[in-house]
Amino acid sequence: PSAADRNAQACFLNCCLTLACANQIIFCNLLQAYAKFAGAPLIVNTINNSWSSPKADVPVLISEDIVISQPAKILNFLRKQRYNADYELSAKQGADTLAYIALLEEKLLPALLHTFWVEAENYCSVTKPWFASRIPFPLSLYLPGKMSREALNRILLTRGGPPLYSLTEVEAQIYRDAKECLNLLSKRLGTSQFFFGNTPTTLDAFVFGFLAPVYKVCFPRVQLQEHLKELTNLCRFCDDILTCYFKLTVTGKFYFSSTFSHV
Amino acid sequence: MQLPLLFSAKKAHGSSTFAALRCPNGSVFSITFSQARDRGRTSLPTIREAFLQMCNLPVRVVCRANAEYMSPSGKVPFIHVGNQVVSELGPIVQFVKAKGHSLSDGLDEVQKAEMKAYMELVNNMLLTAELYLQWCDDVTVEEITHPRYGSPYPWPLNRILSYQKQWEIRRKMKAIGWAGKSLEQVLEDVDQCCQALSQRLGTQPYFFNKQPTELDALVFGHLFTILTTQLITDELSEKVKNYGNLTAFCRRIEQQYFEGHDKDSSATASARCAKRSLLR
Repeated sequence: PSAADRNAQACFLNCCLTLACANQIIFCNLLQAYAKFAGAPLIVNTINNSWSSPKADVPVLISEDIVISQPAKILNFLRKQRYNADYELSAKQGADTLAYIALLEEKLLPALLHTFWVEAENYCSVTKPWFASRIPFPLSLYLPGKMSREALNRILLTRGGPPLYSLTEVEAQIYRDAKECLNLLSKRLGTSQFFFGNTPTTLDAFVFGFLAPVYKVCFPRVQLQEHLKELTNLCRFCDDILTCYFKLTVTGKFYFSSTFSHV
Repeated sequence: MQLPLLFSAKKAHGSSTFAALRCPNGSVFSITFSQARDRGRTSLPTIREAFLQMCNLPVRVVCRANAEYMSPSGKVPFIHVGNQVVSELGPIVQFVKAKGHSLSDGLDEVQKAEMKAYMELVNNMLLTAELYLQWCDDVTVEEITHPRYGSPYPWPLNRILSYQKQWEIRRKMKAIGWAGKSLEQVLEDVDQCCQALSQRLGTQPYFFNKQPTELDALVFGHLFTILTTQLITDELSEKVKNYGNLTAFCRRIEQQYFEGHDKDSSATASARCAKRSLLR
């Protein structure tokens, strides 16, 4: 990769990792990707004003005086402003998009949460320092731990339970599911450039949003990343998007700010 | 290969005797439910039955009060085959596949990926919406769910168990972010999901080619339950009824796989006490 690519990647990663938690990292990635696909001009800001910011989940889209906070609503808003990346999709392809997004959320998200927030080595050496360095002092002692506990809670509530009785069994199961999900995505992508032909759509943004952190962030424990690297078409997919869409910064009238959710 | 059901299950004061049905190769399939037909999640029994019917496997349906404890994963319904007990749709599908029956052999890799994605969509949206409606909507909880869930037990056990279940479900909803949703938002999600299913189904008889797959069984189970279960309001079933091809799909599967078997067996009739036919 050339120096420009690496720079772009570094900026992009910088952006991602300053966000509140793995969930939001994914959504911020995908929203940025979506906005770029649809040609929506947006600025990414990492504003650290957690004491005074509204009680909002990240990411938050601010357009003139409208504030929108949930990813699905942000996507709808961009569409209504006629920045629509799915314009040329058929009804069936639109339905496929929803189905694959559900697949990502059910099968891949638990493993991602685990890699970022629960896996002890990863959390202590990468996630926590990055996160803590971006928020003010008292919060930085408490908030990372809270995020980590919430991630573990979510994993156990949704995937734990009999016949899986211990955390190691649950972990094994979620990583198996995540690898199967990656395999399915790889089969679906095949040799095409994007999931629906030659132009990127919402699904591409979602997949990129989920895969990019796994692909690019250097964790000590990387079983998911190793599996992903074997699926060369998915790696090529991520690289293509990074080089095509994230090389230049864009300015415009939408301000995309990330605030940290309040305790 | 269809076999007639040989025995009937007798019910005596809350317990039902367990009747076995044998196929020539010695395998026996029977599904066990909890006593109150739809104590927990309402749609899962239908999904399992539909799947097994589609595989042309003979099925016996039995109701038991302690079914949740008999199941290896704590979830009903489960199937009991010979000396093996398997619960949940995923493992059941794999078990049946290992025995040599599979519905999705004719699909290529991309279609299999698509099928799995749609199954996750149904699980993600429809199942969660059903749970939300049953356990997080206060009116429904008070008038329908608590009485139904606690019906096999005497007071105060019935209230304690149903509150415990409610607390468990609400915790899960909070973890996945559904606790903050209003009923309208949940109904909108259901609508979106049905729209996607309707668009995928189009004018075909089944989701993939002309043969049913696990996805058809899953969708049928959920939609049939939504359409036939009596709740406080009809909003949920109205959302599904908006899509004509989905209701036609349910009707078609019901006619093809369930109508014929109802005539053969009296036992399944007892298990269907809470259900109404779509055709009425």
